[in-house]
Amino acid sequence: MVEYRPSPSFDGAAKYLSNASSLASVSNTVKLELYGLFKYLTVSHIPNTGKPSIFDFTGRAKWDAWNTTGSTYGDRAEDAENRYLEIATSLGWKEGTTTEPEPEASTSASSNTAAGDEDDIWDKDTDGPKRSGGGFGVKVSMVSQETEEMREVGSLHALVLDGDVAGVEKHLQDHPDTNLNELDEHGYTPLHIASDRGHTKVVELLLSKGADKAIKDPDEFTALELAEVAEHDDIVTLLR
Amino acid sequence: MAANGKQKEIIGEQVEATADASDSEGSETETEHQDSSVPSASTPSTSGKSKKKKRSKAARALNALRGGGKDSVPQEVVDVVLNKVRNEHGDSVPGGPDAVNEETIRLALQQMKLKEMLQGKTGIGGKNAKDVGAHKFWNTQPVPHFGEEEPTTDGWVEAPKPIEELRQDPYPLPKDFEWASVDLSNPNQLKEVYELLSANYVEDDQAAFRFQYSAEFLKWALQPPGYHPEWHVAVRVASNKKIVAFIAAVPLQLRVRDNILNASEVNFLCIHKKLRSKRLAPVLIKEVTRQCNLKGVFQALYTAGVLLPTPVSTCRYYHRCLNISKLVNIHFVSVPQNQTLARMIRLNKVPEKPRLIEPQYGMRELEDKDVPEVAALYERYMKRFGMAIHFTEEEVRHHFLSGRGNGPSVKDSWKTPREGQVVWSYVVENPRTHKITDFFSFYSLPSTVIGNTKHNILNAAYLMYYATEVAFEDGAEESGRLKKRLEELIGDALVIADQSKFDVFNALTLMDNNLFITDLKFGGGDGMLYYYLYNWRTPLLAGVTATGDAPVGRGIGVVML
Repeated sequence: MVEYRPSPSFDGAAKYLSNASSLASVSNTVKLELYGLFKYLTVSHIPNTGKPSIFDFTGRAKWDAWNTTGSTYGDRAEDAENRYLEIATSLGWKEGTTTEPEPEASTSASSNTAAGDEDDIWDKDTDGPKRSGGGFGVKVSMVSQETEEMREVGSLHALVLDGDVAGVEKHLQDHPDTNLNELDEHGYTPLHIASDRGHTKVVELLLSKGADKAIKDPDEFTALELAEVAEHDDIVTLLR
Repeated sequence: MAANGKQKEIIGEQVEATADASDSEGSETETEHQDSSVPSASTPSTSGKSKKKKRSKAARALNALRGGGKDSVPQEVVDVVLNKVRNEHGDSVPGGPDAVNEETIRLALQQMKLKEMLQGKTGIGGKNAKDVGAHKFWNTQPVPHFGEEEPTTDGWVEAPKPIEELRQDPYPLPKDFEWASVDLSNPNQLKEVYELLSANYVEDDQAAFRFQYSAEFLKWALQPPGYHPEWHVAVRVASNKKIVAFIAAVPLQLRVRDNILNASEVNFLCIHKKLRSKRLAPVLIKEVTRQCNLKGVFQALYTAGVLLPTPVSTCRYYHRCLNISKLVNIHFVSVPQNQTLARMIRLNKVPEKPRLIEPQYGMRELEDKDVPEVAALYERYMKRFGMAIHFTEEEVRHHFLSGRGNGPSVKDSWKTPREGQVVWSYVVENPRTHKITDFFSFYSLPSTVIGNTKHNILNAAYLMYYATEVAFEDGAEESGRLKKRLEELIGDALVIADQSKFDVFNALTLMDNNLFITDLKFGGGDGMLYYYLYNWRTPLLAGVTATGDAPVGRGIGVVML
């Protein structure tokens, strides 16, 4: 859950960067930092999903960037935002604007980047924090996240799983006839998923739209029971 | 090895970041921003479109790679690796069988710059000063170097030297630092080493967990029978005497295939985080090597989570999750998309009581009187593996019994750890013949959880040695009897670990572990452990992959603490 509300400046900068041609020429290190800061500020301080499989290079790089941001800034969301604005400014963003002044430069840079970026990265190993110690000895390991069949991108269940409250709201607006209690292929309603994963705001939204809290999942658990098992106290309160 | 510890990170970052480069052409991040920062743009159709866009970009990038750029990977290499991965892992590859195709293999090899590495042009992870430095060091050491043919026979790299030809003085240290040997029998010095390691030792790639060896554990691990205090090497700051670096070796009799070596096991190399740039690791390695040589020991066994020149085997970590809620909370594991936490808890529940503890089966804690029988059973069982340690009875007593902590062994000891307990050892005594037919053991190695508000410590149990008479029965392996027996034994180890409040039970793909890890619901870890021999050549030993002479795991019979 994000308690920190990004400022209007941040929204402006994010809008600016979403179309900025200057991004094409920056290294992936910077892009990953921006990505990490963005997710930190808008979704949660550290990734709310497991680490992608080793074959998903892009996914892992992003996950790592997000996770690093979380450990770098901890609860100092303002510092994270300032850093985001600093990078945006260096890429031509100005307070109060959301678009680039001159959109014409956008295509020329991208042709060199495919080759250029790679060399960039190989040489940029000194950027970023280096933490792991030791060398001889055994290794800390954790369960690796196997990539699974993803839910349909943009589906109600997928948005709920991501805890994307704005996305869920938008989806319900765009599809007013959505069945709020629809079961996915695993037999879960959106409310089951949100209650299990701890997405309080999504639970609130679903309840306000009239989601049925009495439905049981394939293991005979209600949304309330799922939230109790997962110790999401605020959701338990909402569902009681 | 600080430099190599860093190297590990470099590998990770570069592989991943570069992959991003080849996939993005500069707009991957933008897409992401668009989707979530501007809600009005994130309708399903837009998301679908950007997905498609990403794919075609990835395809183009791959085509560019295929086109024979300077880093292109030859088709033959891709084919060989692809076949190898498919044959050996089948559907068990992370991401499922679809994750393995020509593109992903090519990409993976590309990221690793495998070709250049094999040609010796770069270190792992590309060119940079640190890699070259690390390489420079290993190039001077009697180890097989990258790019050499795999050895076909066994033997030393460098002949042993008579003592008078050995260097008698310690290697020079940067100014302000001095050598010290640590006396771990002295509680204050033990505490100093414990504190250095607690704050500075091995972390995972995300720096979410850091090993926290207890003081009792260190004393147990580093003071086996015949240990040499000189092999516990520390570096102190000259002015305030603070310990800032440490490396340790213990003596052991190591069998590598048919040769028995008087060797040392090197472990616990640790350098204070603030001194990682001083390149202390090579000098620590050289100094502990010198100390070993002075005792007439010229071979060593060591492991690392990073790739150095040149592993004799690679094992993968597997994890049996016990305390699901906590492990999910600290991001050690995540809930699969098709499950809820509640279901995951149910699926991973273990019984409340060990099955073999019932009187008719005869399982109980190891006692001193069992030591000779256990030593004999261990010795016979370990012949199954390519590399194993020979333990005297005294050593068996030390490794399996001395770490049991303070307090009596009583009927219900399996329910609660004793104070200071670091090792758990159980035997099965046949109720009729009173012979010891089986044993198993595991040890406790917690990790600090970094930056979690709810939990500070991850309590992990690690499977150590085990043996069963069943292995010696005719056809025990083919008929599945060995597998079944090991599932019973290790299954009970899980129950005991669960009752003793361990959060997770870990094992590597070594010994016979491959027979039971899947059915006992261990999940693959993101960590690999590389096994190395110093000054000894031998063909590859079977670890996570089989070799010509042994199935998975059977090359390695050594558990490193």
